[in-house]
Amino acid sequence: MSTGVTDEIRGTFAAIADVLIPEAEGMPSATQVGVHEDLLDRILGLRPDLREDFIRGIKSVVGEKPHAAAERLNKEDPAALGTIGLIASAGYYITPQVRELIGYPGQENRPADPDEDPEYVTNGMLQVVIDRGPIYVPTAKR
Amino acid sequence: MVASAGGKGKRSRRDEEVDVVIVGAGPSGSVAAKHLSAAGFSVVTLEQGHWPDPDEFPGKRPEFELVSQKQWHPNPNYRDRERDYPINTDESHINPLMFAAVGGSTTLYAGHWTPFLPSDFRVKTLDGVADDWPFTYEDLLPYLEEVEREVGVSGLPGNPAYPPQKAFPTPPLPIGKCGMKAAEGMDKLGWHWWPGTNAIPSVPWNGLNPCVRRGTCMTGCPEGAKSTANITYWPHALKSGAKIVTGARAREIEYDDTRGVVTGVVYVDEHGREHRQRGKVVIVCGNGIGTPRLLLLSKSKTFPNGLANSSGIVGKRLMMHPFSAALGIYEDPLDGWRGPFGQLIESFEFYETDEKRGFVRGAKWGAMPGGGPLGVTSFVGSKIFSGGDAKVEDSWGKNLHDLVERRFNHCMVWGIIGEDLPEESNRVELDSELTDTSGIPAPKLIYKVSENSHNMLKFHVDRCVEACEAAGSIETHVVHQVPDTGWHLLGTCRMGDDPKTSALNQWGQAHEVPNLYILDASAFPTCGGVNPTATIMSVALRQTKHLIAARRNQKAA
Repeated sequence: MSTGVTDEIRGTFAAIADVLIPEAEGMPSATQVGVHEDLLDRILGLRPDLREDFIRGIKSVVGEKPHAAAERLNKEDPAALGTIGLIASAGYYITPQVRELIGYPGQENRPADPDEDPEYVTNGMLQVVIDRGPIYVPTAKR
Repeated sequence: MVASAGGKGKRSRRDEEVDVVIVGAGPSGSVAAKHLSAAGFSVVTLEQGHWPDPDEFPGKRPEFELVSQKQWHPNPNYRDRERDYPINTDESHINPLMFAAVGGSTTLYAGHWTPFLPSDFRVKTLDGVADDWPFTYEDLLPYLEEVEREVGVSGLPGNPAYPPQKAFPTPPLPIGKCGMKAAEGMDKLGWHWWPGTNAIPSVPWNGLNPCVRRGTCMTGCPEGAKSTANITYWPHALKSGAKIVTGARAREIEYDDTRGVVTGVVYVDEHGREHRQRGKVVIVCGNGIGTPRLLLLSKSKTFPNGLANSSGIVGKRLMMHPFSAALGIYEDPLDGWRGPFGQLIESFEFYETDEKRGFVRGAKWGAMPGGGPLGVTSFVGSKIFSGGDAKVEDSWGKNLHDLVERRFNHCMVWGIIGEDLPEESNRVELDSELTDTSGIPAPKLIYKVSENSHNMLKFHVDRCVEACEAAGSIETHVVHQVPDTGWHLLGTCRMGDDPKTSALNQWGQAHEVPNLYILDASAFPTCGGVNPTATIMSVALRQTKHLIAARRNQKAA
């Protein structure tokens, strides 16, 4: 899907995205998983409402050093920086590589056995609550 | 009233006068449609939304967290779908949340099933504030038990926070590592807790699949395992002959000044065409904002200030359950993305009034998981819990990785639903300029969180932090009075015995219009400190059964 993002916009976004999500703590940077490539178009396709703040913010800092750009946006246009950060992080945490690194399998089906005795029953925790007795305030029928 | 005697409901032709017109196919309207049609009434329900399509729910796609923040956001102003109506919230501390669809806002709810407690019906008697309900917990209990079977509630019987009642129809859902962590803290403090009761069955039930703990409840359940009326009520209603018109936006309830009755509902379809659905009885179930909006739109010679509103009470006493939360972070992994994404455990330890606390009434707590990585970096993450002066490096850079490593899969949230006392200054009006896409005036809210609610939430947040710490948290954070939490819209057309101070009698029937009923939470005199869907549906069933039983005495159009 073409989202009409120019190379200049894409490049500026890539640099800021790596400020927001750098290579550190054993994690790859934003651009190392390609948040500025097809993922950027995918995220903008999923959330076209983000485009306006994104383009405005990125255009306003084209040519600036990425750290300074992020700081200036944070002060002068926090909505734009929030949107740029959301696009970067949404793309980042969608990738299988990042999900594997943080131990996130994605939302998955894990049916439970409804007949299994819960731990709080077998270990007696809930019985303590029961043994303390009712805590509601009874009311009489009027 | 001329209603069919017994048997299945009559199928109506277009424009034919039917026995009952219902506005809104959410939880209360669906209860009414099912039971009225089963009792032989011809029923047409007007719903401004559509049938939800489970294939559209994003929970099975990797981007579900991203789209949950826009297309599936519960705030209609932010979501901005064509079927939503805008709401002016410039003068409201809380943003109302809702969804237009068959099944209503339950499409996006978490499924917490927490009926009102006995004291909730006796606030005036017990605490000297607000008003007693015109009926009691005991009066409502048989209807609650019947609704619970229709809904397919899962839960464990014997909760000492409630009087004894019939067992829930399906066994409790697992509370998981996250719920156990929350329970450990309560256990150490000796405070009440109980496994969460949810409108999510653990075994197949009434058209519902059992919960598979996918954890995407709040963007619609793609598994068909969360109880919503499109699954649990409408198949029965349609089989009994009820008709539903989707994409139908009610504009006015027509009133006959000569006969003193309502005669039907004018609605606008998606193409902008106006229609009139005539009915002998009109039932409004449009929620605590949509219902007073429709009544205020329905002006006549007799009711120049809105239908059934000589008292001036319509639209007033809006209650929205201001919400606060505390977050605990733990060293142990908690499977924080696993469902159900409702309440894993609940607590009523501080539900009843203790005046030494500096406020009256109380709140229910629900322990919830933290969600996926985007959730950890937004709702329960840095942005909302770090205040307004955050620097870039506070939330980003190396700190982002640290934050995700520390919080993702390691956090538990206690959510606090506190009782919001009714005040006439908190209200719904018609906006003088804003309209929906059909040109119908939009509602405007004037709502301030009261001092009582503010003090209540502060107290509860402090206790929740203690509970997090007792469970061994290595870090805690609080967020006070979250704006986007107005899930519960109540009180704007209250029931009562006095027509000067209430719009409805104890059966949800308008004091001034004998064939007009309101069966949603607008009718609630007070709001309790719990999620209200269980009580909304139980009250709707009580009122519907009374209407059926009293059919021969019903004055009709």
